[in-house]
Amino acid sequence: MLTELGDSGVQILVISPDPNERSQELASRLKARYHFLTDRDLAVTRRYGIVHASGGHKGQDVPRPTTVVLDRSGTVRWLSLADSIQVRPDPDAVVRAVRTLGS
Amino acid sequence: MIRYWPALLSLLLCVGAIGGYVALLKFPTVRNHPEAYLGAFALAALIAAIATWRAARWPNVAALALSAMLLVLGGYFNFVLARIPNTSATVRVGEPAPDFTLPDATGAPVSLASFRDQTPVVLVFYRGYW
Repeated sequence: MLTELGDSGVQILVISPDPNERSQELASRLKARYHFLTDRDLAVTRRYGIVHASGGHKGQDVPRPTTVVLDRSGTVRWLSLADSIQVRPDPDAVVRAVRTLGS
Repeated sequence: MIRYWPALLSLLLCVGAIGGYVALLKFPTVRNHPEAYLGAFALAALIAAIATWRAARWPNVAALALSAMLLVLGGYFNFVLARIPNTSATVRVGEPAPDFTLPDATGAPVSLASFRDQTPVVLVFYRGYW
């Protein structure tokens, strides 16, 4: 996954509506230095305009799988919005996007 | 048994496509090309259809029914159920990312602004496990 980036000092913020306990379990299982953040009511996801309305298995709103690369100034430099729940960006593409920012 | 090799091949293609997709899901090329398993189902259905046309015996008909069913179900999942409506995202390339503060796994608040002028940041929004 993106462990290589985490090791290079880039901050990786992983956001989902999962409760903290669930994320903590995942964090320890992946042994990764990501920040697992909980967006319980999807307030931030909504502000980013990336809610998949009624996309959950119980018909609830869920985040649209999205990966965003920000430069140091907080400007979006690369963006991947999934158009299918099966698809995720290739980690190599994310790594390349970060590398082009220079470090 | 030997004359049923097209039916057997059709069945193997179906099973192989499902097994291969599930087993290799962690590889981005496999994960991001779900149309590959649909192609395998379509090929399996074609083989079984030809076999059935040549000899309408039950193994051929069964292989045709199975592969056609998988093709329809797989196509429905892929093109209808799994689709995400392309609503306009507020986050855009070239624009500043909206700031936020959210609790991390230990409950401590993390704010996006705290990384500004420090390091690049990768945000990964995922569906979660509910």
